[in-house]
Amino acid sequence: MKKVTIIGAGSVGTAAAFYIAEKRVANVLLIDVVEGRARGKALDLMEAAPIRGYDVHVDGTSDFKKMKGSEVVVIAAGVVRKPEMMRLDLLDQNLNVIDEIIKSVKKYAPNAIIINLTEPVDTLTYYIIKKGGFKSPKVMGVSGALDSSRLREFIAQELDVSSVDTTAIIIGGHHDYMVILPRYARVEGIPISELLPPEKVESLITRTRKAGSEIVESLKTGSASNAPGAAVCDMVEAIIRNTKRIICAPAYLNGEYGHKNICLGVPVQLGKDGIEKIIELQLTLAEKEAFDKSAGVVSNVIKSLELESKEK
Amino acid sequence: MKKVTIIGSGHVGASSALYISEKRLANVVLIDVVEGLAHGRALDSVEAAPIRHYDTRINGTTNFAEMVDSDVVVVTAGKARKPGMSRDDLLKINAKIISSISKEIARYAPNTIIIMVTNPLDVMAYVALKVSGFALKRVVGMAGVLDSTRFRYFLADKLGVNVGDTTALVLGGHGDSMVPLPRYATVSGIPIPELLEKDDIDKLIERTRKGGAEIVSYLKTGSAFWAPAAGVAEMVECVIRDKMRILPCSAYMRGEYGIEGIFVGVPIKLGKNGVEEIIELSLAKEENEALANSASKVKSIVEKLEDERLV
Repeated sequence: MKKVTIIGAGSVGTAAAFYIAEKRVANVLLIDVVEGRARGKALDLMEAAPIRGYDVHVDGTSDFKKMKGSEVVVIAAGVVRKPEMMRLDLLDQNLNVIDEIIKSVKKYAPNAIIINLTEPVDTLTYYIIKKGGFKSPKVMGVSGALDSSRLREFIAQELDVSSVDTTAIIIGGHHDYMVILPRYARVEGIPISELLPPEKVESLITRTRKAGSEIVESLKTGSASNAPGAAVCDMVEAIIRNTKRIICAPAYLNGEYGHKNICLGVPVQLGKDGIEKIIELQLTLAEKEAFDKSAGVVSNVIKSLELESKEK
Repeated sequence: MKKVTIIGSGHVGASSALYISEKRLANVVLIDVVEGLAHGRALDSVEAAPIRHYDTRINGTTNFAEMVDSDVVVVTAGKARKPGMSRDDLLKINAKIISSISKEIARYAPNTIIIMVTNPLDVMAYVALKVSGFALKRVVGMAGVLDSTRFRYFLADKLGVNVGDTTALVLGGHGDSMVPLPRYATVSGIPIPELLEKDDIDKLIERTRKGGAEIVSYLKTGSAFWAPAAGVAEMVECVIRDKMRILPCSAYMRGEYGIEGIFVGVPIKLGKNGVEEIIELSLAKEENEALANSASKVKSIVEKLEDERLV
C-alpha cells in the first residue's frame, strides 16, 4: 500500500484523509505540530473503519520524521481566511509555516510529489519549488480542482441535472481574478451556453468566483474543508494510481500560455511522476487577456517575496 | 428495494443483472422462455453474492407474471447478430418476439419504464410503444450510451488520458448511420478538435461506427455484451435513483430536431419517469443533415414493418 502524508490536521487535512481512506487510495499519515491533534483525528478515522469497510491505515503524529517513504506529501498547514479577508492577506503568516515544512520534506521525503493547499496557493507553490529546489513537475497546488467542482455543482443545481455529467475548467490565479472559461463548462459535452441564457451563466461564474468567501461568511469561524479535501483526494488518487487524469492545478510555467517563472492554474495531466503534461488550451484573445491579468496579480506577489535577490 | 425485470437471459441480460446487483440498485428478475436458462443464470449470480457483498435478490423464471410491480423492465430478448448478418436481417424475427413481450409487459407491469435493447433498437422501441400503449416518455432505447462509451474508450486510448475524464454524445439511429458529434466530445471539458487532428478523429468515429461488428468479428459466435450491459445498468440507475443524467438515448420524437413519430438517439434527461426531457442541441447544418439521414433510415424500417402489419 502506498503512503500519503498530510501536513496539517486541520479540517481540510482531515477531510482529505477521510476521502483518501474511504476510497482506499493509500495509507495516510497526518502530521500536525499541535501535540495530539493529528493522533486524535487519525484514531477517530480508524475507529470508523470497521463500519465503513476500509482497511488502509491512518496514523497521526507531530513527528515530521515519520513522513519517510511517502509517495505524496500534501501541505494543508497554515492559517485560513476569516470573513472580509483575501487569500493574499495570509501570505506573511503562512510563509514562516511553509519554510519549516520545506526543510522537513527535503530531509525526510525528498522524492515525494508535493501537493500544496496553503494560501495564497499559487505564490506558495512557486515558493516551495524555488526555496526547496524541487523539480517543478513534482510540485503542484490545489485550486482549479476545487473551483471547478464548485462551478459544476452550481451548474447541476441550476439545470437540475446530475453533477456527474458536468465538466468545468478554471485556470489562472486562485483569487478574485480566477479565469472561468464558460466555453469549456459542459453537461455531457454540451456547452452550458446552449442550455442557459448568458445572464444565468454570468451569475454562476460570479458565485464560483466568490464561493470560498461564501463558505467563510456562512461559517464565520472557519472555511471550506470538504470540497477542498475532495479535490486533494482526486489529485492524490490520480498520482498514486497513475490514472493520467486531466485536472486544473497551479503548475510551474516555463513558457506555456506565454508565462515563465511563475505558478498558475492550468489543465495538467497527473500520473505517478506528478505533472506529466501541461495542456495548452486554444484560448481566444479575450480569454488570454483575462489569463494575463490574473497572472499579473500572482506575479506581483511573487516579486514582493524578493526570492531571487535573497538567493544571491 | 426497487425491482427490475430483465427479459432475455442471454449474455446481455445476464451481464446487466450482474452490474445492477454489484451496484445494489434493485432486486432483479431474469426472464427467459428457454426453460431453466434464467433460473441457472440467476442462481449462479446470487451464489457470488457472499463474496461480492451484494444483498439484493436475483430470481430467474420463465413466467412473465413474475415481472409484476417492476419499476423498470429491460428488454434484451431476441436473436443475436451472426457474422455477416446486418441488423436489418434480424428485423422480422425480433419484431414478432418484441410484440408478444410488449403485451406481457402491458399486462403485468403497466406502470413500468421500458428500456429497449433488442436490435434494431430504434425500431423495436417503436414496436414496444405501439403494442404496450404506454405513455411516450415511458419507453426509451439503449444505444447512444453504448456507442458513446465505445467512442470514449477509443478516445482515451488514443490520447493516453483517463476514460473517466472523457465525454461523448453519439446521436442518431444505432448502427452505420449513427451521428457522432466531435464538437461535443471532450476530455475534462476540452473539445477533442483541440486535442486531435481531424484524420485521427475520423478514425475514432469510423471505429465506433463499426464497434459492434469489430467484437462480432473477434468472437465469431457471439456479439458484445459487457459494454451493452454497462449501458443498460447506467440507464437503469438513472431511473431507479431519479438521477436526471443527460445521456444519449433513443426517444420518441414529436418534432424535436424536425423529426416526427419515430425513435431516434438524442440527448435526454433520464429520471424516474423515463424520458424527462429531450435536449435540443444547436446543431450545425451538416450535423442536422446527418441526424435527418439517420432518422430516415429508422423511418423506412418502421414503414416496412407497418406494411407487413408487424406493428
